[in-house]
Amino acid sequence: MIDGTVVDLSRTQFAATALYHYLFVPLTLGLSFLLAAMETVYVTTGKPIYKQMAQFWGKLFMINFALGVATGLTMEFQFGTNWSFYSSFVGDIFGAPLAIEGLMAFFMESTFVGLMVFGWERLSKGQHLAVTWLVALGSNLSALWILIANSFMQDPRGAAFDPTTLRMQLTSFQQLIFSPDAQSKFVHTSIAGYVTAAVFVAGISAWYMLKRRHMDLAKRSFRMAALFGVLATIGVITLGDALGFVAAQAQPTKLAAMEGLWKSEPAPMPFNLIAFPDQSLQKNAGAVQVPYLLSLLVTHSLDGTVAGIDALERQAAQKVENGIPAVQALQVLSKNPKDAAALAQFKAHEQDLGYGFLVQRYAPDLQHVTPQQVQQAARDSIPPVAAVFWSFRLMVGFGLLMLAYFVLAVIYTLRNRVQDQRWFLRAAVWMIPVPFLANETGWLVAELGRQPWTVYGVLPTWMSASTHSVGYMAFSLIGFVTLYSAFIVVEMFLMLRAIRHGPDGPGQHPPYTQQRPALAPRPVPAAAHDTHLEG
Amino acid sequence: MKTFAYFLLFLVLAFVVILLAALLGDEGAWYFAWLVGTAMIVLIAAAGAALLDTQEDQAAQAHAAGERAVP
Repeated sequence: MIDGTVVDLSRTQFAATALYHYLFVPLTLGLSFLLAAMETVYVTTGKPIYKQMAQFWGKLFMINFALGVATGLTMEFQFGTNWSFYSSFVGDIFGAPLAIEGLMAFFMESTFVGLMVFGWERLSKGQHLAVTWLVALGSNLSALWILIANSFMQDPRGAAFDPTTLRMQLTSFQQLIFSPDAQSKFVHTSIAGYVTAAVFVAGISAWYMLKRRHMDLAKRSFRMAALFGVLATIGVITLGDALGFVAAQAQPTKLAAMEGLWKSEPAPMPFNLIAFPDQSLQKNAGAVQVPYLLSLLVTHSLDGTVAGIDALERQAAQKVENGIPAVQALQVLSKNPKDAAALAQFKAHEQDLGYGFLVQRYAPDLQHVTPQQVQQAARDSIPPVAAVFWSFRLMVGFGLLMLAYFVLAVIYTLRNRVQDQRWFLRAAVWMIPVPFLANETGWLVAELGRQPWTVYGVLPTWMSASTHSVGYMAFSLIGFVTLYSAFIVVEMFLMLRAIRHGPDGPGQHPPYTQQRPALAPRPVPAAAHDTHLEG
Repeated sequence: MKTFAYFLLFLVLAFVVILLAALLGDEGAWYFAWLVGTAMIVLIAAAGAALLDTQEDQAAQAHAAGERAVP
């Protein structure tokens, strides 16, 4: 059996690398489409300010993109190094989307990123615009495939366990890519990236407006980011609701943890706005409730109910008892794959195979499982409630804060008065970390809420890790945290330097001359006119 | 000729979209929403920038007219 400390360290290492990586990803997803929007305006209007915007924000995009790729690579290797049983167990399904993600990221996205950066002077306007759109599409499509892989872990569809090979196999690629979890998670995650980019662009533009620098660029960037952001935030909230609805069907334990719902109650159910869940006592302290709201939110009806943790634990105990014969049959089949009796026993109990694995942690010899061990395994099937509950509330709180921020931003910018609202500009700068925090807490809800499984209801986390030593895991964890912290420092340094220099700083393309003919008409020599128009 | 080429391009695009919708049915509703939503968000952001240009031009013209009116 794998040492519990090794499993915990493997989880911590993956969580740390994923959380670091996800500081970079959403900005890439969203900023690529904002760049496409800016360049589209440049190509359609011919105004060089939009080319300057696309080039300036493109520079920040590149800093972020480079570090995002560097931090993402190691995660794919970790599946093999730290989660080798998991990789062997579901590799036939998980491998395909992961490989397509790699192809999307390193062939499509990276190729077009290169063309986007170095093609300003080499491609026509239309060609460069097409390249920028393909960068945006490529980065989001690569996210699509990794999210399809993740959704398989949340709601394993399109696959079946093969008792002869002792691995899961793909049965329907269509079910895998069109699973409700994959669809809603991709759109939710991708659009959350748009929100991140919008807050980032609006915040930096606000800083320029506070300093009265690069006003033309800042006002236009703020306007575009505000409109982009308000629509994206509405989209994220809508898809968050859809994702909650999907979780209610596919992962009832995650939903119960998100809502701190220890006991099943009759409809209409109240929503715990604030509470302090205690896992050992299985109850909440200091709960502040909103009547009727939970039924409305989760089932979209006042008559709907949601299973509480008490009922889910009882169901889990039954599943554990049903899963034990499946694991026992598997032990026979691993020695003799043609044993008909064992195969029949496995087929009769295969839907609860994962719960049989869950109890193996406490009872390696399944012939002598005690009711206490079954109960212990059933209790294990509930994720860490307090962490999921509060991560969810923080994510929603940040989301609502950003909606309010963008509504105000749109009102001010549409009146062309945002540059005069200094308190709002200061707030906009302080808003920059908020979407990053929302993204991180969102992933905490998704991944902590899936526990104790790596593949929900199929493969427990405790079985999935590699058999490394504690020393090896601790050493590599410290190494990753140190290296990734250095990456964050490098990113912050490069970003802040580029922002301080602004669009006129080093690395920019041919110098731009601000053109505001009506406000400040300047005589432009005929020979220089074309150069100005082209930026 | 250019307009006709655009017409043909968008006609082919519409045909592909309708074909995909007919083949997929309600399988990929959220993916479709993402495609349409992203295009809409980008276009509205772009339109907002164009609107700002117009607002600035109008403000500048009004400012210039005001200056001319004052002797």
